[in-house]
Amino acid sequence: MIRHHPDSNMLLEYASGSLPWAMSLAVSAHLQLCPHCRRASEQLNEIGGGLLEDSAPQATSGAALAQLMERIDQEPQQGEPQHADSPAGEGAPVSRRNTRDDRDPALARLPQVIRKLLGGNRPLKWRRVSPALKMSRLHTGQDQYEVAFHRISRGGKVAEHDHRGREVTLVLYGSFSDADGVYSPGDFLLREPGEVHRPIATQDQECLCLSVVEAPVSVTGPLGWLVNPLLSFRPA
Amino acid sequence: MMAQVTRTDFNGKAVQQTQTRDDDWSRLLVQVGTHRDRAAFERLFHHYAPLIKGFHYSRSVQAFSAEAADELVQEVMFRVWRKATSFDPARASANTWIYTIMRNCRIDMLRRNSRRQDADGCDVEVDDIWDESPESQPLVVLQHKRSQRDIAEGLRGLPPEQSHVLEKAYMEGKSHSEIAEELGLPLGTVKSRVRLALKKLETILSKRGAP
Ligand SMILES: [Zn+2]
Repeated sequence: MIRHHPDSNMLLEYASGSLPWAMSLAVSAHLQLCPHCRRASEQLNEIGGGLLEDSAPQATSGAALAQLMERIDQEPQQGEPQHADSPAGEGAPVSRRNTRDDRDPALARLPQVIRKLLGGNRPLKWRRVSPALKMSRLHTGQDQYEVAFHRISRGGKVAEHDHRGREVTLVLYGSFSDADGVYSPGDFLLREPGEVHRPIATQDQECLCLSVVEAPVSVTGPLGWLVNPLLSFRPA
Repeated sequence: MMAQVTRTDFNGKAVQQTQTRDDDWSRLLVQVGTHRDRAAFERLFHHYAPLIKGFHYSRSVQAFSAEAADELVQEVMFRVWRKATSFDPARASANTWIYTIMRNCRIDMLRRNSRRQDADGCDVEVDDIWDESPESQPLVVLQHKRSQRDIAEGLRGLPPEQSHVLEKAYMEGKSHSEIAEELGLPLGTVKSRVRLALKKLETILSKRGAP
């Protein structure tokens, strides 16, 4: 059961197209898991449709339609759908095969947009950040945010840390908890700069999250020295 | 959805049945999708091209230059032609469907113009993130789509400071913090205006379309 959602302001920025690419990626993955927010986002699209209908019409150039029809004539017969690439129900594109990723249970059932992202980032390179935490950076075609998978081993504790920038965490597999609660797949968490937290994975399963971080993370806990590599969260 | 008397003054071939105007555009889109009907497409073009342009470029909105807005119109209507086969009138009105195509197109255009790519290995495209296809979506209880006219009327009924922020967000493509900066308002004020606007529209968005 999903209990944590992006707020309506963020959904509106997503629906209107002003939310940054990396953040939108996380929102999109959440929408693919959350009927509640999917519905809200459809309503926000309807507002867009209403504003479109209400726009002040501006004449286009007289040749616009003719130009367009000419372009259409050069199209192959029958406008085929744009998405010829990912057949529904298939896993990530298999171009870069990596059997370890294929067997990884945490990666077995991901939202479509994350599978697509994974496809371009295979094979995943996991880096140990601390005894309980591994991360794998993901290329997303932008460098404003750092996007990564984080996985916490069963019952693993991550050193207390805070964030200098906004951070979104989307739980994809397993669950973790911190002082505020327990988070399960689909939960979308936004942390503002300065919020300190200390995630702990549940005992029965490891936990996989997608994280999108605006700025480097700094370590504040007394065990900070243990997790020095966290500083390499900073975008390369 | 209930059939209603149209206030439309469609030029030329007026549609005989009594139905909402949205349904007429949806029907044309379906004709384009199923029969590649050019006459239907031309009517859609004459209706939507000026609106798409006006959405981005008009006296009150200058998100794009006139030239860029024209370019966008071409690209959006081209995609409308290509994607019409996947238009499902039960899921979205024509306006909303075209809005989503237009938004994605605009994101594409802005992205292409500002290439700060570390794109190696990145397969994710705009249509993957802003994906409106039913396959990508969780099972949603089928909801009746709202009458687009009700939404437009609801928007007109908002207090100006609320509709203003919505226009800046959607038409100018500004984030909340950009709007706050531009209007010289605290971010919290912009956020709460947006939420108030949504609350006002909620009655329309969630109830009107009910059977
Ligand atoms: Zn949600």
